[in-house]
Amino acid sequence: MHAEQKKLYALMITATTAGYLWLLYHIYFRTQNTDTTVCLVKSITGIACPSCGTTRSILSIFNGNWKAAMYYNPLGLIVLLIMIILPIGLLYDVILKKQTCWTLYKKAEQTLQKKTVAIPLIIVVLANWIWNIYKHV
Amino acid sequence: MDALKADMFIMSYGKYFESHHIAQIRERLLLMDDSKWVLIQSIPLKDPLISLILSIFLGMYGIDRFYIGDTGMGIGKLFTCGGFVIWYIIDCFNIESATRQKNFEKLQQFLY
Repeated sequence: MHAEQKKLYALMITATTAGYLWLLYHIYFRTQNTDTTVCLVKSITGIACPSCGTTRSILSIFNGNWKAAMYYNPLGLIVLLIMIILPIGLLYDVILKKQTCWTLYKKAEQTLQKKTVAIPLIIVVLANWIWNIYKHV
Repeated sequence: MDALKADMFIMSYGKYFESHHIAQIRERLLLMDDSKWVLIQSIPLKDPLISLILSIFLGMYGIDRFYIGDTGMGIGKLFTCGGFVIWYIIDCFNIESATRQKNFEKLQQFLY
């Protein structure tokens, strides 16, 4: 395992742990209707960012309320899937000393940099952002 | 490659690399074949200053990471509001050296 890979794995572990802690905090110490935000852009300008509403979306999925989850932010589902799959993949790599996550990550990066893939995705994210601003998430 | 060309490269692109890599780059450039000179100049190197500006103003959306070619991390930042703002702040300080590192990686493919 070389240095760059170690760095990436450390970052992935930190990010997913932070994500789970953030979710636990919301489940145990907060009711869903409180109006606080970590988002710097939203607290300064009042305009929602592309990922605003992700936490509420994931919490709605936990409550079984899929309609609300999709309304808050469809990105919530993607983030939740990443948060479930990534730790399993990392554990698999670390225990069996394989490089599956690393090679997949590199391949995904290369695919995403192709213009035919990147441009539609950018349009989707921008559309989601405009919807976010429009519905005042 | 003659020393003049190598020095010219270092002078115009010195800012794009970490200072501890410069000596190594110059050494490898001197050993390199002259035919690669055009190739070397056509490598799309990224300006650390531009990535810093992007990081400060658009870092919450991960645009700085997309700019230097770290698409995966860019998506990570975009989906989590700049990594719960913490990652955004770290990147404001870190992005310049990350850019230089990326530039060095790009150049390395031609040097060795």
